[in-house]
Amino acid sequence: MFLDRVRRIVTLRTASLASVLGAGLLAAACGGDAPPPRGPDIAVLIIDDFGDTLRFTPPAQRVVSLNPVTTELLFALEVGDRLVGRTSWDLFPEAAKAVPDLGAGMGPNVEAVMGQRPDLVLLYASESNRAAVQQLRAAGIATLTYRTDKVADLPRVIGPIAEVLGVPSVGQLVADSVRASVDAVRDLPRPSEPVRAFWHIWDAPLLTIGGGSYMSELLDIAGAVNVFADAEQPSPQVSLEEVARRNPDVILAGPNNARKIREHPLWQTVPAVRAGRILVIDTTIVGRPGVRMGEAARFLRRALVDSFANPGAGLP
Amino acid sequence: MTARHWLLLALVVVVAMVLGVSGGAVPIPPGDVLRALLGVGDATQVAIVQNLRLPRIALGLAVGAGLAVSGAALQTTLRNPLAEPYLLGVSGGAAAGAVAAVTLGLASAALLPLAAFLGAVVAVLVVLLVARAVAGHADPRVLLMAGVVVGAFCTALIMVALATAPENTVRGALWWMMGSLGDAQWRGVRWIALYVALGIALLIVWARDVDVLALGEEAAASLGLPVERVTRRIYFAASLLAAATVAGAGLIGFVGLIVPAIGRALGARNTRQTLLASALAGAALVVLADLAARTLLRPAELPLGAVTALIGVPFFLWRLRRMR
Repeated sequence: MFLDRVRRIVTLRTASLASVLGAGLLAAACGGDAPPPRGPDIAVLIIDDFGDTLRFTPPAQRVVSLNPVTTELLFALEVGDRLVGRTSWDLFPEAAKAVPDLGAGMGPNVEAVMGQRPDLVLLYASESNRAAVQQLRAAGIATLTYRTDKVADLPRVIGPIAEVLGVPSVGQLVADSVRASVDAVRDLPRPSEPVRAFWHIWDAPLLTIGGGSYMSELLDIAGAVNVFADAEQPSPQVSLEEVARRNPDVILAGPNNARKIREHPLWQTVPAVRAGRILVIDTTIVGRPGVRMGEAARFLRRALVDSFANPGAGLP
Repeated sequence: MTARHWLLLALVVVVAMVLGVSGGAVPIPPGDVLRALLGVGDATQVAIVQNLRLPRIALGLAVGAGLAVSGAALQTTLRNPLAEPYLLGVSGGAAAGAVAAVTLGLASAALLPLAAFLGAVVAVLVVLLVARAVAGHADPRVLLMAGVVVGAFCTALIMVALATAPENTVRGALWWMMGSLGDAQWRGVRWIALYVALGIALLIVWARDVDVLALGEEAAASLGLPVERVTRRIYFAASLLAAATVAGAGLIGFVGLIVPAIGRALGARNTRQTLLASALAGAALVVLADLAARTLLRPAELPLGAVTALIGVPFFLWRLRRMR
């Protein structure tokens, strides 16, 4: 769905650009495989989130992505066919499932990665990936390491990634589209009494989402409030008692957790659970700060603001 | 031990190395492995063999030898066949020291083993003091209990340190708790190997003292051995060994428990022989355990510490039964 939207924007933008600047840029602007305007042999320098200054010769042709966010991004950039490896968690879009599964994305199996003969490896910027990055670079394989934790991170990192893939103009379009899709939801009028929501992330121990994190930002953008927005850690451990005390209007949980909460006797202490106000979330969309974040924000807006303002509609 | 035994041990180490360099997540035919070792042939295969598998095997040899010799020295000195750095909390102390250094931003390839060493020394002192206060050295079970408790405390300290460190600035808890050779790179491996070699050399030099000590503290003292000083030195070197292995590969248990028994089963006559035999057998054991860790569930890797625990815990229970 998202890809279609991007494709439409690409076509639209290409047409307007072409009319202004002539047909010369056309190939570059719509170009999955087209070379960047500056020519393919010119190196680019990029500073990644490890603070390393790296030199690349675009376009990268064989890419291993060790983070679901960048895997999705590659397909949005229409270079999904260059993906030669992914983690076990990268199951979207459907086409990603056909790409070889290389196991974990944090502390990856470097030998399995090298076996795919990539010329670019995209990793999450965690210290658990530091050794893998050093090992890959020692073997002459380019790496880019990004911390994609917040709403603002993805648009920030699309530029350099698209640059290395040789599709900077498509990158620009995707970044703009992601920003626009989020802003479209953010700019909707805020309800005077926003819905107070509790994110149920993990069962044992009971984990939720703290104020600084992406999923809390999403709630805010959708016009709702995270009841644990005051917690500083990204995913704090909380007690059921405290959840009951904060009395959220609605519980957000993945399909399995939602079922558990509904059936668990202890959870009946929370009024929202007794009233059946549990919103089942597709965690692969809402839980990842990827290209579908606008879709995620819109889903939350519809469920938490529009349906609440219009009680007849009920929760989806 | 006869020359045949030594030859056998050396052969086992060589076989482990050959298997280790041949197996991995990416299947490479033996002929290609050989060419890659010589630095010719396909660039990716050369990189996999030379940059990933060789340093990993080198680290495995160092870690295995270090843990086994540390265990052998502790077992002889404490006259306790269940003593080993992991169960005595020494490795846990080392890990706490290393994590503390990393979270304070003090870690480099050369300094990390030293930070781990400080943690290990503190842990070993606490364990010995507690055990002595409760029961003297006489009761091996109290010593182990103190070790396990101190180890658990160190694990808790690590969890707290990792929880307070900014996210993703320190390697994950699993790496520290369950051990892995996956991060091996020559630069770090050289330092680990150096510290392990130093620890083993010290213990070999002091091996005669350990022989005397093994007669019992009173007997040793009557033979003119400065018991306190000698014991302290042995703990010091055994801690250094454990610390170096933890800095290089995280917590790996039970190697120090199993391997010295192999040395004794082969008929090691004195401490020096036990230490040397343990070094060889330990090196081979860890390289083989790591081979299992990286091939059983490929492309996923099992934590090395889980593999050694799966082998080690049944062995521990069997030893425990025989002690009664």
